[in-house]
Amino acid sequence: MGVFWFFAGIGSALTAMLAIPALSGSAYAETPDISGTYWASEYHAKIQLVGGGELPLTPAGKAAYEKNTAGLKDGSITDAARKYCVPDGLPRVLATPYPFEIIQAPPGQVTIIHELNHQVRVIAMDKPMPTAREQTTFPFYNGHSIGHFEGDTLVIHTAGFNEKTFVDATGAPHTDEMTTVERIRRVSPTQLEDVITIHDPQYYSRDWQARFVYNLRTDVRLEDYVCGEPHRDLSQVAGVRRP
Amino acid sequence: MSATPVGRSKPAGRLFGLIALAGSFLCACVTAWPSAIVAQQGVTVPDFTIDSKSAWLMVGDDLLPPPSGPGPISFDKRYPYVDNGAARRTGTQPTYRVADLSNPILLPWAREQMRKANEWVLAGKVPFRARERCYPAGVPGWVIYTLAEPIFVLQTAKQVTMINQGGPEVRRIYLNVPHSQNPKPSWYGESVGHYEGNDTLVVDTIAISTKTFVDSYLTPHTDQLHVVERYKLQNDGKAMEVLITVDDPGAFTTPWSAIQRFRRVPRQWTEDICAENNIDFLHYEVMPLPQADKPDF
Repeated sequence: MGVFWFFAGIGSALTAMLAIPALSGSAYAETPDISGTYWASEYHAKIQLVGGGELPLTPAGKAAYEKNTAGLKDGSITDAARKYCVPDGLPRVLATPYPFEIIQAPPGQVTIIHELNHQVRVIAMDKPMPTAREQTTFPFYNGHSIGHFEGDTLVIHTAGFNEKTFVDATGAPHTDEMTTVERIRRVSPTQLEDVITIHDPQYYSRDWQARFVYNLRTDVRLEDYVCGEPHRDLSQVAGVRRP
Repeated sequence: MSATPVGRSKPAGRLFGLIALAGSFLCACVTAWPSAIVAQQGVTVPDFTIDSKSAWLMVGDDLLPPPSGPGPISFDKRYPYVDNGAARRTGTQPTYRVADLSNPILLPWAREQMRKANEWVLAGKVPFRARERCYPAGVPGWVIYTLAEPIFVLQTAKQVTMINQGGPEVRRIYLNVPHSQNPKPSWYGESVGHYEGNDTLVVDTIAISTKTFVDSYLTPHTDQLHVVERYKLQNDGKAMEVLITVDDPGAFTTPWSAIQRFRRVPRQWTEDICAENNIDFLHYEVMPLPQADKPDF
Protein backbone atom coordinates (compact mmCIF):
# COMPACT_ATOMS: atom_id res chain seq x y z
CA MET A 1 0.00 0.00 0.00
CA GLY A 2 2.86 2.34 0.89
CA VAL A 3 4.59 1.65 -2.43
CA PHE A 4 1.30 2.20 -4.20
CA TRP A 5 0.85 5.66 -2.74
CA PHE A 6 4.53 6.45 -3.23
CA PHE A 7 4.23 5.82 -6.96
CA ALA A 8 0.88 7.52 -7.08
CA GLY A 9 2.38 10.55 -5.41
CA ILE A 10 5.37 10.67 -7.75
CA GLY A 11 3.04 10.30 -10.69
CA SER A 12 0.89 13.19 -9.60
CA ALA A 13 3.85 15.41 -8.89
CA LEU A 14 5.37 14.65 -12.29
CA THR A 15 2.07 15.20 -13.99
CA ALA A 16 1.67 18.54 -12.31
CA MET A 17 5.25 19.58 -13.10
CA LEU A 18 5.01 18.55 -16.72
CA ALA A 19 1.59 20.03 -17.12
CA ILE A 20 2.58 23.58 -16.33
CA PRO A 21 4.92 24.29 -19.26
CA ALA A 22 2.46 22.58 -21.60
CA LEU A 23 -0.12 25.28 -21.03
CA SER A 24 -0.09 28.58 -22.81
CA GLY A 25 -2.15 31.72 -22.50
CA SER A 26 -4.73 30.43 -24.94
CA ALA A 27 -5.18 26.76 -24.19
CA TYR A 28 -2.64 24.26 -25.40
CA ALA A 29 0.44 25.29 -27.30
CA GLU A 30 -0.16 22.89 -30.18
CA THR A 31 -3.83 23.83 -30.56
CA PRO A 32 -4.74 26.00 -33.56
CA ASP A 33 -5.40 29.57 -32.47
CA ILE A 34 -8.83 30.80 -33.53
CA SER A 35 -9.21 33.14 -30.56
CA GLY A 36 -10.09 36.78 -31.03
CA THR A 37 -12.89 39.31 -31.34
CA TYR A 38 -15.03 38.86 -34.43
CA TRP A 39 -17.78 40.90 -36.04
CA ALA A 40 -19.98 40.12 -39.02
CA SER A 41 -20.29 42.69 -41.78
CA GLU A 42 -23.79 41.68 -42.83
CA TYR A 43 -27.00 40.58 -41.17
CA HIS A 44 -29.88 38.52 -42.52
CA ALA A 45 -33.10 38.10 -40.58
CA LYS A 46 -33.89 35.05 -42.71
CA ILE A 47 -31.31 32.29 -42.56
CA GLN A 48 -29.36 31.84 -45.81
CA LEU A 49 -28.89 28.24 -46.87
CA VAL A 50 -25.66 27.01 -48.39
CA GLY A 51 -26.51 26.42 -52.04
CA GLY A 52 -29.48 28.75 -51.82
CA GLY A 53 -33.14 27.77 -51.82
CA GLU A 54 -35.75 27.48 -49.10
CA LEU A 55 -35.70 25.55 -45.84
CA PRO A 56 -36.51 21.86 -46.53
CA LEU A 57 -39.46 21.83 -44.14
CA THR A 58 -41.47 18.70 -43.45
CA PRO A 59 -45.26 19.16 -43.21
CA ALA A 60 -44.89 19.40 -39.41
CA GLY A 61 -42.08 21.92 -39.84
CA LYS A 62 -44.13 23.96 -42.28
CA ALA A 63 -47.05 24.06 -39.85
CA ALA A 64 -44.75 25.14 -37.00
CA TYR A 65 -43.18 27.87 -39.15
CA GLU A 66 -46.60 29.20 -40.21
CA LYS A 67 -47.75 29.23 -36.60
CA ASN A 68 -44.62 31.14 -35.54
CA THR A 69 -44.80 33.74 -38.30
CA ALA A 70 -48.50 34.34 -37.69
CA GLY A 71 -47.98 34.55 -33.92
CA LEU A 72 -45.04 36.95 -34.22
CA LYS A 73 -47.16 39.12 -36.51
CA ASP A 74 -50.28 39.28 -34.32
CA GLY A 75 -48.32 39.38 -31.06
CA SER A 76 -49.56 36.07 -29.68
CA ILE A 77 -45.97 34.79 -29.82
CA THR A 78 -43.18 36.88 -28.27
CA ASP A 79 -39.68 36.97 -29.69
CA ALA A 80 -38.19 36.53 -26.22
CA ALA A 81 -34.60 36.85 -27.46
CA ARG A 82 -35.32 40.43 -28.57
CA LYS A 83 -37.91 41.46 -25.95
CA TYR A 84 -36.43 39.89 -22.80
CA CYS A 85 -32.92 39.26 -24.11
CA VAL A 86 -32.79 35.57 -23.34
CA PRO A 87 -30.25 33.71 -25.49
CA ASP A 88 -30.88 33.46 -29.22
CA GLY A 89 -29.90 29.79 -29.39
CA LEU A 90 -28.40 28.01 -32.37
CA PRO A 91 -28.20 28.73 -35.21
CA ARG A 92 -29.80 32.17 -34.74
CA VAL A 93 -26.99 33.48 -32.54
CA LEU A 94 -24.56 32.95 -35.41
CA ALA A 95 -26.40 35.67 -37.34
CA THR A 96 -25.70 38.25 -34.63
CA PRO A 97 -24.86 41.73 -35.94
CA TYR A 98 -22.87 42.36 -32.73
CA PRO A 99 -19.26 41.36 -32.11
CA PHE A 100 -18.33 38.28 -30.12
CA GLU A 101 -15.20 36.79 -28.61
CA ILE A 102 -13.69 33.35 -28.92
CA ILE A 103 -11.54 32.58 -25.90
CA GLN A 104 -9.52 29.36 -25.84
CA ALA A 105 -9.57 29.06 -22.07
CA PRO A 106 -9.68 27.60 -19.54
CA PRO A 107 -7.66 24.53 -20.56
CA GLY A 108 -10.02 21.95 -21.99
CA GLN A 109 -12.57 24.51 -23.11
CA VAL A 110 -13.37 26.99 -25.85
CA THR A 111 -15.60 29.80 -24.65
CA ILE A 112 -17.63 31.96 -27.01
CA ILE A 113 -18.99 35.16 -25.50
CA HIS A 114 -21.45 37.32 -27.40
CA GLU A 115 -22.02 41.00 -26.81
CA LEU A 116 -25.69 40.45 -27.75
CA ASN A 117 -27.50 39.46 -24.55
CA HIS A 118 -24.10 38.57 -23.00
CA GLN A 119 -24.60 35.00 -24.14
CA VAL A 120 -21.96 32.48 -23.17
CA ARG A 121 -21.36 29.28 -25.09
CA VAL A 122 -19.12 26.76 -23.40
CA ILE A 123 -17.53 24.21 -25.73
CA ALA A 124 -16.07 21.30 -23.79
CA MET A 125 -12.94 19.98 -25.47
CA ASP A 126 -12.18 17.44 -22.78
CA LYS A 127 -15.52 15.88 -21.99
CA PRO A 128 -17.97 13.55 -23.72
CA MET A 129 -21.41 14.78 -24.80
CA PRO A 130 -23.82 14.71 -21.86
CA THR A 131 -26.10 11.69 -21.95
CA ALA A 132 -29.50 11.87 -23.62
CA ARG A 133 -31.04 11.89 -20.16
CA GLU A 134 -28.90 14.86 -19.09
CA GLN A 135 -29.76 16.68 -22.30
CA THR A 136 -33.49 16.28 -21.80
CA THR A 137 -33.32 17.02 -18.07
CA PHE A 138 -31.31 20.20 -18.57
CA PRO A 139 -32.01 21.51 -22.06
CA PHE A 140 -30.10 24.73 -22.84
CA TYR A 141 -30.92 27.65 -25.14
CA ASN A 142 -27.54 27.23 -26.77
CA GLY A 143 -27.48 23.47 -26.25
CA HIS A 144 -24.70 21.31 -24.83
CA SER A 145 -21.56 21.55 -26.94
CA ILE A 146 -18.46 19.43 -27.25
CA GLY A 147 -15.61 20.19 -29.61
CA HIS A 148 -12.36 18.97 -31.09
CA PHE A 149 -9.91 20.21 -33.69
CA GLU A 150 -9.56 18.57 -37.08
CA GLY A 151 -6.45 20.22 -38.46
CA ASP A 152 -7.12 23.94 -38.21
CA THR A 153 -10.88 23.51 -37.92
CA LEU A 154 -12.80 23.54 -34.65
CA VAL A 155 -15.62 21.01 -34.95
CA ILE A 156 -18.47 21.53 -32.49
CA HIS A 157 -21.28 19.05 -31.92
CA THR A 158 -24.28 20.47 -30.08
CA ALA A 159 -27.41 18.76 -28.75
CA GLY A 160 -29.83 19.16 -25.86
CA PHE A 161 -31.61 22.33 -26.95
CA ASN A 162 -34.76 23.72 -25.43
CA GLU A 163 -37.62 24.67 -27.72
CA LYS A 164 -37.79 28.34 -26.70
CA THR A 165 -35.70 29.64 -29.58
CA PHE A 166 -36.11 30.15 -33.30
CA VAL A 167 -33.74 29.10 -36.05
CA ASP A 168 -33.76 32.70 -37.31
CA ALA A 169 -35.44 36.05 -36.73
CA THR A 170 -38.35 35.16 -39.01
CA GLY A 171 -39.44 32.40 -36.62
CA ALA A 172 -38.14 29.33 -38.47
CA PRO A 173 -38.74 26.45 -36.04
CA HIS A 174 -36.78 23.61 -34.53
CA THR A 175 -37.54 20.83 -32.11
CA ASP A 176 -35.68 19.85 -28.97
CA GLU A 177 -34.26 16.94 -30.95
CA MET A 178 -32.27 19.26 -33.19
CA THR A 179 -28.55 18.54 -33.32
CA THR A 180 -25.96 20.70 -35.00
CA VAL A 181 -22.39 20.35 -36.22
CA GLU A 182 -20.31 23.48 -36.68
CA ARG A 183 -17.01 23.67 -38.50
CA ILE A 184 -15.20 26.86 -37.50
CA ARG A 185 -11.91 27.93 -39.06
CA ARG A 186 -9.89 30.93 -40.14
CA VAL A 187 -10.36 31.26 -43.89
CA SER A 188 -7.84 34.10 -44.04
CA PRO A 189 -5.67 35.86 -41.45
CA THR A 190 -8.57 38.23 -40.80
CA GLN A 191 -11.69 36.15 -41.42
CA LEU A 192 -13.44 33.37 -39.56
CA GLU A 193 -16.00 31.01 -41.07
CA ASP A 194 -18.64 28.96 -39.25
CA VAL A 195 -20.50 26.41 -41.37
CA ILE A 196 -23.33 24.84 -39.41
CA THR A 197 -25.23 21.70 -40.34
CA ILE A 198 -28.73 21.37 -38.92
CA HIS A 199 -30.19 17.94 -38.27
CA ASP A 200 -33.80 18.00 -37.12
CA PRO A 201 -35.74 15.30 -38.99
CA GLN A 202 -39.10 16.13 -37.41
CA TYR A 203 -39.13 19.57 -39.02
CA TYR A 204 -36.63 19.26 -41.86
CA SER A 205 -36.70 16.55 -44.55
CA ARG A 206 -32.91 16.64 -44.95
CA ASP A 207 -29.89 18.06 -43.18
CA TRP A 208 -29.08 21.56 -44.37
CA GLN A 209 -26.29 24.05 -43.89
CA ALA A 210 -25.76 27.75 -43.34
CA ARG A 211 -22.46 29.63 -43.53
CA PHE A 212 -21.45 32.68 -41.52
CA VAL A 213 -18.33 34.77 -42.04
CA TYR A 214 -16.90 37.19 -39.51
CA ASN A 215 -14.06 39.69 -39.59
CA LEU A 216 -11.33 39.59 -36.96
CA ARG A 217 -11.53 42.92 -35.16
CA THR A 218 -8.50 43.65 -33.00
CA ASP A 219 -9.78 47.24 -32.74
CA VAL A 220 -13.04 46.30 -30.98
CA ARG A 221 -13.73 45.64 -27.32
CA LEU A 222 -17.01 44.01 -26.38
CA GLU A 223 -19.41 46.29 -24.53
CA ASP A 224 -21.95 45.66 -21.77
CA TYR A 225 -25.43 44.90 -23.04
CA VAL A 226 -28.65 45.44 -21.09
CA CYS A 227 -32.01 44.81 -22.70
CA GLY A 228 -33.82 47.94 -23.86
CA GLU A 229 -30.86 50.30 -23.54
CA PRO A 230 -29.22 52.04 -26.48
CA HIS A 231 -26.39 49.87 -27.76
CA ARG A 232 -23.47 50.20 -30.10
CA ASP A 233 -23.76 51.62 -33.60
CA LEU A 234 -24.48 48.84 -36.10
CA SER A 235 -24.55 51.02 -39.20
CA GLN A 236 -21.48 49.27 -40.62
CA VAL A 237 -23.34 45.93 -40.60
CA ALA A 238 -25.26 45.69 -43.87
CA GLY A 239 -28.85 44.57 -43.51
CA VAL A 240 -29.43 45.83 -39.96
CA ARG A 241 -32.59 47.89 -39.70
CA ARG A 242 -33.23 49.43 -36.31
CA PRO A 243 -36.83 50.31 -35.52
CA MET B 1 -7.30 17.71 -13.00
CA SER B 2 -6.87 18.00 -16.73
CA ALA B 3 -5.50 14.76 -18.11
CA THR B 4 -4.45 16.21 -21.44
CA PRO B 5 -0.86 17.22 -20.54
CA VAL B 6 -0.12 13.67 -19.41
CA GLY B 7 0.57 12.69 -22.99
CA ARG B 8 3.39 15.21 -23.11
CA SER B 9 5.50 13.38 -20.56
CA LYS B 10 7.68 11.68 -23.19
CA PRO B 11 11.02 13.07 -21.99
CA ALA B 12 10.54 11.31 -18.70
CA GLY B 13 10.40 7.94 -20.41
CA ARG B 14 7.69 5.37 -20.77
CA LEU B 15 7.96 4.02 -17.24
CA PHE B 16 7.68 7.42 -15.68
CA GLY B 17 4.89 8.20 -18.09
CA LEU B 18 2.97 5.16 -16.94
CA ILE B 19 3.59 5.98 -13.32
CA ALA B 20 2.53 9.55 -13.92
CA LEU B 21 -0.59 8.39 -15.68
CA ALA B 22 -1.47 5.94 -12.95
CA GLY B 23 -0.65 8.44 -10.27
CA SER B 24 -2.70 11.18 -11.79
CA PHE B 25 -5.76 8.96 -11.98
CA LEU B 26 -5.31 7.27 -8.64
CA CYS B 27 -4.33 10.31 -6.71
CA ALA B 28 -6.12 13.16 -8.40
CA CYS B 29 -7.92 13.90 -5.15
CA VAL B 30 -4.74 14.74 -3.26
CA THR B 31 -2.79 16.36 -6.07
CA ALA B 32 -1.62 19.89 -5.44
CA TRP B 33 -3.15 22.17 -8.05
CA PRO B 34 -0.64 24.03 -10.17
CA SER B 35 -0.42 27.50 -8.71
CA ALA B 36 0.71 29.19 -11.88
CA ILE B 37 0.13 29.14 -15.61
CA VAL B 38 2.49 30.28 -18.30
CA ALA B 39 1.12 33.05 -20.45
CA GLN B 40 1.92 33.29 -24.14
CA GLN B 41 5.09 35.30 -23.57
CA GLY B 42 6.41 32.55 -21.32
CA VAL B 43 5.88 34.57 -18.17
CA THR B 44 4.54 32.65 -15.21
CA VAL B 45 1.37 34.19 -13.81
CA PRO B 46 -0.96 33.23 -10.97
CA ASP B 47 -3.54 30.66 -12.02
CA PHE B 48 -7.04 31.72 -11.00
CA THR B 49 -8.57 29.44 -13.61
CA ILE B 50 -7.31 25.99 -12.58
CA ASP B 51 -9.32 24.09 -15.21
CA SER B 52 -12.71 23.85 -16.88
CA LYS B 53 -14.22 21.97 -13.97
CA SER B 54 -13.79 24.36 -11.08
CA ALA B 55 -15.01 27.82 -10.22
CA TRP B 56 -15.19 30.36 -7.40
CA LEU B 57 -18.05 30.75 -4.99
CA MET B 58 -18.56 33.81 -2.78
CA VAL B 59 -18.60 33.05 0.92
CA GLY B 60 -21.14 35.81 1.58
CA ASP B 61 -22.92 38.60 -0.24
CA ASP B 62 -21.82 41.52 1.88
CA LEU B 63 -18.57 43.48 1.72
CA LEU B 64 -16.52 42.66 4.82
CA PRO B 65 -14.63 45.26 6.86
CA PRO B 66 -10.90 45.69 6.15
CA PRO B 67 -8.23 44.92 8.77
CA SER B 68 -8.00 48.66 9.51
CA GLY B 69 -9.23 52.00 8.32
CA PRO B 70 -12.59 53.18 7.00
CA GLY B 71 -14.80 50.32 5.90
CA PRO B 72 -17.96 49.53 3.94
CA ILE B 73 -21.56 50.14 4.89
CA SER B 74 -23.05 47.39 7.03
CA PHE B 75 -26.50 46.93 8.54
CA ASP B 76 -28.15 49.15 11.11
CA LYS B 77 -27.69 47.35 14.43
CA ARG B 78 -31.36 47.98 15.25
CA TYR B 79 -32.33 45.90 12.21
CA PRO B 80 -29.92 42.97 11.99
CA TYR B 81 -29.56 41.55 8.52
CA VAL B 82 -30.33 37.83 8.25
CA ASP B 83 -29.59 36.30 4.85
CA ASN B 84 -31.43 33.26 3.52
CA GLY B 85 -28.66 30.88 4.53
CA ALA B 86 -28.45 32.21 8.07
CA ALA B 87 -32.23 32.08 8.34
CA ARG B 88 -32.26 28.42 7.33
CA ARG B 89 -29.48 27.57 9.76
CA THR B 90 -31.01 29.39 12.70
CA GLY B 91 -34.68 28.83 11.95
CA THR B 92 -35.40 32.54 11.89
CA GLN B 93 -36.94 34.86 9.33
CA PRO B 94 -34.66 36.31 6.65
CA THR B 95 -34.67 40.09 6.42
CA TYR B 96 -33.88 42.76 3.89
CA ARG B 97 -30.96 45.05 4.47
CA VAL B 98 -31.31 48.33 6.37
CA ALA B 99 -28.14 50.39 6.00
CA ASP B 100 -26.17 51.82 8.92
CA LEU B 101 -26.30 55.53 8.11
CA SER B 102 -23.90 56.41 10.92
CA ASN B 103 -20.96 55.16 8.85
CA PRO B 104 -18.72 58.26 8.50
CA ILE B 105 -17.72 57.47 4.90
CA LEU B 106 -21.02 58.84 3.54
CA LEU B 107 -21.37 62.36 2.20
CA PRO B 108 -24.70 63.99 3.15
CA TRP B 109 -26.42 63.50 -0.23
CA ALA B 110 -25.51 59.82 -0.28
CA ARG B 111 -26.73 59.39 3.30
CA GLU B 112 -30.01 61.09 2.43
CA GLN B 113 -30.56 58.87 -0.62
CA MET B 114 -29.90 55.80 1.51
CA ARG B 115 -32.26 57.04 4.22
CA LYS B 116 -35.03 56.88 1.63
CA ALA B 117 -33.94 53.37 0.64
CA ASN B 118 -34.07 52.37 4.33
CA GLU B 119 -37.56 53.84 4.69
CA TRP B 120 -38.68 51.82 1.68
CA VAL B 121 -37.56 48.59 3.35
CA LEU B 122 -38.93 49.57 6.76
CA ALA B 123 -42.29 50.22 5.10
CA GLY B 124 -42.31 46.52 4.20
CA LYS B 125 -41.32 46.88 0.57
CA VAL B 126 -38.79 44.87 -1.41
CA PRO B 127 -35.48 46.66 -2.05
CA PHE B 128 -33.76 46.60 -5.43
CA ARG B 129 -31.15 43.92 -5.90
CA ALA B 130 -29.35 43.82 -9.19
CA ARG B 131 -29.17 40.02 -9.28
CA GLU B 132 -32.87 39.57 -8.61
CA ARG B 133 -33.86 42.03 -11.31
CA CYS B 134 -31.29 40.85 -13.88
CA TYR B 135 -29.28 44.07 -13.90
CA PRO B 136 -25.48 44.03 -14.10
CA ALA B 137 -23.58 44.00 -10.82
CA GLY B 138 -21.25 46.92 -11.44
CA VAL B 139 -17.92 47.24 -9.66
CA PRO B 140 -17.27 46.48 -6.83
CA GLY B 141 -20.79 44.99 -6.68
CA TRP B 142 -19.38 42.20 -8.87
CA VAL B 143 -17.83 40.50 -5.84
CA ILE B 144 -21.10 40.32 -3.89
CA TYR B 145 -23.55 39.70 -6.73
CA THR B 146 -24.81 36.28 -5.74
CA LEU B 147 -24.24 33.60 -3.13
CA ALA B 148 -25.30 30.62 -5.16
CA GLU B 149 -23.77 31.11 -8.59
CA PRO B 150 -20.12 30.41 -9.38
CA ILE B 151 -17.67 32.73 -11.07
CA PHE B 152 -15.49 31.30 -13.83
CA VAL B 153 -12.18 33.01 -14.58
CA LEU B 154 -10.71 32.83 -18.08
CA GLN B 155 -7.07 33.91 -18.31
CA THR B 156 -5.34 34.66 -21.58
CA ALA B 157 -2.23 36.68 -22.29
CA LYS B 158 -3.97 40.00 -22.84
CA GLN B 159 -7.21 39.63 -20.95
CA VAL B 160 -8.90 38.17 -17.91
CA THR B 161 -12.57 37.42 -18.43
CA MET B 162 -14.77 36.75 -15.42
CA ILE B 163 -18.14 35.12 -15.92
CA ASN B 164 -20.80 34.92 -13.24
CA GLN B 165 -22.93 31.96 -14.30
CA GLY B 166 -26.03 33.63 -12.89
CA GLY B 167 -27.36 35.95 -15.55
CA PRO B 168 -24.87 35.24 -17.00
CA GLU B 169 -22.82 38.36 -16.32
CA VAL B 170 -19.45 39.00 -17.95
CA ARG B 171 -16.69 41.48 -17.20
CA ARG B 172 -13.35 41.89 -18.88
CA ILE B 173 -10.01 43.07 -17.54
CA TYR B 174 -7.43 44.18 -20.09
CA LEU B 175 -3.92 43.29 -18.95
CA ASN B 176 -0.85 45.50 -18.96
CA VAL B 177 -2.45 48.43 -20.77
CA PRO B 178 -3.30 51.94 -19.54
CA HIS B 179 -6.85 53.26 -19.22
CA SER B 180 -8.38 54.86 -22.31
CA GLN B 181 -8.34 58.65 -22.53
CA ASN B 182 -12.07 59.17 -22.03
CA PRO B 183 -13.77 55.83 -21.46
CA LYS B 184 -17.55 55.87 -21.95
CA PRO B 185 -19.34 55.03 -18.68
CA SER B 186 -20.68 51.48 -18.67
CA TRP B 187 -22.14 48.96 -16.23
CA TYR B 188 -18.77 47.33 -15.52
CA GLY B 189 -16.66 50.35 -16.33
CA GLU B 190 -13.24 50.04 -17.88
CA SER B 191 -10.98 47.58 -16.08
CA VAL B 192 -7.26 47.26 -16.63
CA GLY B 193 -5.07 44.93 -14.65
CA HIS B 194 -1.74 43.29 -14.02
CA TYR B 195 -0.35 40.42 -12.00
CA GLU B 196 1.76 40.96 -8.92
CA GLY B 197 4.00 38.16 -7.70
CA ASN B 198 2.78 34.62 -8.04
CA ASP B 199 -0.56 35.02 -6.35
CA THR B 200 -2.22 38.39 -7.08
CA LEU B 201 -4.26 40.01 -9.84
CA VAL B 202 -4.68 43.77 -9.46
CA VAL B 203 -7.66 45.32 -11.26
CA ASP B 204 -8.17 49.07 -11.65
CA THR B 205 -11.64 50.21 -12.73
CA ILE B 206 -13.05 53.60 -13.73
CA ALA B 207 -15.99 54.88 -15.83
CA ILE B 208 -18.57 52.87 -13.90
CA SER B 209 -22.15 53.82 -14.69
CA THR B 210 -23.91 55.71 -11.89
CA LYS B 211 -26.84 53.35 -12.45
CA THR B 212 -24.94 50.79 -10.36
CA PHE B 213 -24.67 50.63 -6.59
CA VAL B 214 -21.45 50.09 -4.72
CA ASP B 215 -22.87 47.36 -2.46
CA SER B 216 -25.99 45.48 -1.40
CA TYR B 217 -27.11 48.43 0.76
CA LEU B 218 -27.75 50.55 -2.33
CA THR B 219 -24.84 52.84 -1.54
CA PRO B 220 -24.66 55.26 -4.47
CA HIS B 221 -21.63 56.68 -6.23
CA THR B 222 -20.73 59.34 -8.77
CA ASP B 223 -18.84 59.21 -12.05
CA GLN B 224 -15.65 59.81 -10.07
CA LEU B 225 -15.75 56.27 -8.65
CA HIS B 226 -12.37 54.55 -8.82
CA VAL B 227 -12.08 50.97 -7.61
CA VAL B 228 -8.98 48.85 -7.16
CA GLU B 229 -9.45 45.14 -6.53
CA ARG B 230 -6.57 42.92 -5.46
CA TYR B 231 -7.50 39.28 -6.04
CA LYS B 232 -5.12 37.07 -4.08
CA LEU B 233 -4.88 33.28 -4.14
CA GLN B 234 -4.65 31.65 -0.76
CA ASN B 235 -4.33 28.18 0.73
CA ASP B 236 -2.76 26.53 -2.34
CA GLY B 237 -5.38 28.02 -4.63
CA LYS B 238 -8.30 26.63 -2.67
CA ALA B 239 -9.35 30.10 -1.60
CA MET B 240 -9.21 33.62 -2.92
CA GLU B 241 -9.51 36.93 -1.12
CA VAL B 242 -10.09 40.26 -2.77
CA LEU B 243 -9.10 43.50 -1.09
CA ILE B 244 -11.08 46.37 -2.55
CA THR B 245 -10.32 50.06 -2.23
CA VAL B 246 -13.02 52.51 -3.20
CA ASP B 247 -12.38 56.16 -3.90
CA ASP B 248 -15.12 58.60 -4.90
CA PRO B 249 -14.79 62.14 -3.57
CA GLY B 250 -18.26 62.83 -4.98
CA ALA B 251 -19.94 60.33 -2.66
CA PHE B 252 -17.57 59.54 0.19
CA THR B 253 -15.69 61.58 2.78
CA THR B 254 -12.63 59.36 2.45
CA PRO B 255 -11.29 56.45 0.44
CA TRP B 256 -12.36 53.21 2.11
CA SER B 257 -11.67 49.54 1.69
CA ALA B 258 -13.39 46.19 2.05
CA ILE B 259 -12.79 42.47 1.71
CA GLN B 260 -14.58 39.60 0.03
CA ARG B 261 -13.63 35.93 0.10
CA PHE B 262 -14.19 33.10 -2.34
CA ARG B 263 -13.71 29.36 -2.15
CA ARG B 264 -12.86 27.13 -5.06
CA VAL B 265 -15.54 24.57 -5.84
CA PRO B 266 -15.79 21.78 -8.39
CA ARG B 267 -18.36 23.15 -10.77
CA GLN B 268 -19.19 22.75 -14.42
CA TRP B 269 -20.93 25.30 -16.57
CA THR B 270 -24.69 25.27 -16.72
CA GLU B 271 -27.00 27.78 -18.37
CA ASP B 272 -28.72 29.96 -15.79
CA ILE B 273 -30.66 32.63 -17.61
CA CYS B 274 -31.83 35.39 -15.30
CA ALA B 275 -34.23 36.98 -17.78
CA GLU B 276 -36.52 33.97 -17.88
CA ASN B 277 -37.14 34.06 -14.15
CA ASN B 278 -38.38 36.63 -11.66
CA ILE B 279 -40.70 38.33 -14.12
CA ASP B 280 -43.37 38.65 -11.50
CA PHE B 281 -42.13 38.96 -7.94
CA LEU B 282 -45.18 37.85 -5.92
CA HIS B 283 -46.91 41.06 -7.01
CA TYR B 284 -44.52 43.20 -4.97
CA GLU B 285 -43.62 46.62 -6.28
CA VAL B 286 -40.21 45.97 -7.75
CA MET B 287 -38.09 47.23 -10.60
CA PRO B 288 -39.22 45.61 -13.85
CA LEU B 289 -36.76 43.29 -15.54
CA PRO B 290 -34.82 44.88 -18.37
CA GLN B 291 -36.80 44.49 -21.57
CA ALA B 292 -36.96 46.06 -24.99
CA ASP B 293 -40.30 47.50 -26.07
CA LYS B 294 -38.97 47.53 -29.61
CA PRO B 295 -36.54 44.90 -30.86
CA ASP B 296 -32.94 46.09 -30.94
CA PHE B 297 -32.56 45.32 -34.65
